[in-house]
Amino acid sequence: MSTPTVFAPTTGAEVVDFVREAHDATRSLRIVGAGRWSDAGHAVRASDTLSLARLRGIVAYRPDDLTITVEAGTTLADIDAATRERRQWCPLLAWGDDEGTVGATLATATTGPFAETLGRPRDLALGIEAVDGTARMIVAGGRVVKNVAGFDLTRAIVGAWGTLAVITRAHLRLRPRPQVDETLAVTPREGFPTLPVAPLASFALTPDLAARLGVADARWLVRLGGNATAVAAMRATLASSGHVHALDPDAWSVLRRVCAPPSPAMHWRWDTLSRQLRDRFDPLHILNPGLLGEAR
Amino acid sequence: MTALATTLERIVGPTHVLARPASLLAYRSDALPGHRVMPALAVMPGTREELIAVMRALAEDGTPYVARGAGTGLSGGALADGVVLLALHRLRRIIQIDPVARTATVEPGVVNATLTRAVAAHRLHYAPDPSSQTACTIGGNIAENAGGPHCLKYGVTLNHVIRATVVLPSGEVVQLDRGDASASASASSAGYDLLGAFVGSEGCFGVVADVTVRLTPDPERVITLLADFMSVRSAANATSRIIAAGIVPAALELMDQATIEAVESSVYAAGYPRDAAAVLLAEVDGAAAGLDDDVRAIEALCLESGARSVRIAHDPAERTRLWLGRKKAFGAMGRVAPHLVVQDAVVPRTALADLLEDIQAIGVKHRLRVCNVFHAGDGNLHPNIPYDADDADESARVHKAMKEIMTRCIDAGGTITGEHGVGLDKLPYMEALFTPDTLDAMCSLRSVFDPTRRSNPGKVVPVRSCREWHATPAARV
Repeated sequence: MSTPTVFAPTTGAEVVDFVREAHDATRSLRIVGAGRWSDAGHAVRASDTLSLARLRGIVAYRPDDLTITVEAGTTLADIDAATRERRQWCPLLAWGDDEGTVGATLATATTGPFAETLGRPRDLALGIEAVDGTARMIVAGGRVVKNVAGFDLTRAIVGAWGTLAVITRAHLRLRPRPQVDETLAVTPREGFPTLPVAPLASFALTPDLAARLGVADARWLVRLGGNATAVAAMRATLASSGHVHALDPDAWSVLRRVCAPPSPAMHWRWDTLSRQLRDRFDPLHILNPGLLGEAR
Repeated sequence: MTALATTLERIVGPTHVLARPASLLAYRSDALPGHRVMPALAVMPGTREELIAVMRALAEDGTPYVARGAGTGLSGGALADGVVLLALHRLRRIIQIDPVARTATVEPGVVNATLTRAVAAHRLHYAPDPSSQTACTIGGNIAENAGGPHCLKYGVTLNHVIRATVVLPSGEVVQLDRGDASASASASSAGYDLLGAFVGSEGCFGVVADVTVRLTPDPERVITLLADFMSVRSAANATSRIIAAGIVPAALELMDQATIEAVESSVYAAGYPRDAAAVLLAEVDGAAAGLDDDVRAIEALCLESGARSVRIAHDPAERTRLWLGRKKAFGAMGRVAPHLVVQDAVVPRTALADLLEDIQAIGVKHRLRVCNVFHAGDGNLHPNIPYDADDADESARVHKAMKEIMTRCIDAGGTITGEHGVGLDKLPYMEALFTPDTLDAMCSLRSVFDPTRRSNPGKVVPVRSCREWHATPAARV
């Protein structure tokens, strides 16, 4: 048994080479982005570490198409910085902080407070490049917003926690930021506030969370987006059932940090199809072995 | 097949197994008339139990099969070439409607529009609305991951499917869901997105026995606009500007002059201006407050982009008429020629204007009339070419033109199909779009569900792209 190595490639081709070597030598790999979610309640027992942290950067930002192509190690903060000026955003905005990587967010399919309205990772990834456990470089999906060409490898790999393939690059859907974007803390007069039909997000606050946000008596955090008339009407709906207090949208970043990371006691469903899926893409189980609690 | 036919007759009854060529003619093609092949026999189960028994009989016999809903597909996907055709149209029970949870569980043969009608009293609807919605089935929609005009705002079929009971080609019955921790019943349970992989697998992964879909509340208000332009380019530019402005229209559809002419000459005449180079049909919906602001913004962006006029539908009747012309446009082209090819490429929105000019030039070069009617907001093109399939010279020119259009769309960073599927029709383009490793990985994904590759054989991925398949012999055909 040779000593464990940490490999941090800077290109997708290097990832292919490294996985091929690992496959040929049957050495297992711990796949790491920013290293924030290293397990899901189960220890990974790997020979070596494959870090995507240096595979970082924006490959192409196409604001008029509302798409961006990034390397897996790119952080959510990098994307925010690149798209802010054109009043766009990538609604991944997962639970956790913005130093998390796109690769990890997609691999774990981590959602956030805006997933219901703006899309889940499984819907926002238009295409990915990923290296499977047999060192095949899979170039799945594309960079257009609607695509049914071939079997959907993107859906299979996103949310697989790196156990089918190592995501190296992603094409993501962007959205225009709302014309008017308001974050409101709501103190209902009794029980629940009357929520408008289509808020960007609404979140029930614990007293502790409310205190952290500096609005100790508030019980709901609501984000409204749309044109001025629509937002005003939604605000009026909220105000009809309680007191509303405008907050800086940064409140959502605080909330995302405090509520992260996802539950560690994850129970993965290992039915026949799931086992076969794993075996077809990583037959030697060299990618993140043990992470999903699978029996060997 | 005789022994198998007898077995199947025992399961579904003799009237629901067709074996004579004359009675199989109806299944020779789908809605894309260019492909014509005959199944060996057709079997039509009437209950879930019969479906499972049929699937097990086919598995035991090792016989390949092709599942089919209403046959409205546009890719030759539901054609059975000398194998068994499994017709699902008799499985049309709406099993459950839950207006509070806003879900419905249905059998695969339920017609898309029938489901919407069934839930209308609850002020709900089933959002994916392919133009064939009055005929196409939910099962077929799942197989193709079908889209439709309103998918621009509401998302495609996959975004509306919660879980499905699937009969695998082996005859085994499994439950599939998105494996999404927060969406499943027990909060801490998660898994691979098997449902996401299944939806859009074009009948190659198994057959839906029942499916639970999300229902969408009817919007408080809907406003439909028609903008007419003197050039296709300005209509395409208006599309990009509307999307970039942060307005999310419910639908944004473009029709060019050739399409307008076909529609206006038909019984579906919608009152589109015949002298326009293009019209843009836009719709906004949702909460009433602020909707008028969006309408004014769209109107202004269209006028700034060169629209000659913008008309707002004043009542539901006018709205329905404007939409009928769009939804029946493919049918209206039946007036122009006996056959029609339809492509379904998607390109980045900003490439639309250039691409439409290139498509026009390709049509002129091959002496063909190209009619464009498509989902502009998604960049999802539908160049239609009416032609006569019995005219060998014209058919050859159509084939060449389609190939050139596809190549051009791939070069522009696009894909070959946005909602109609690969089927048989787009099989030749798969190797231009995907790398050998990627096609091989698609074969691996298929093998998870259909290791003996008996489900819709020969579709979606070219057989020669599957390395594993070279090692073991194919299923008996």
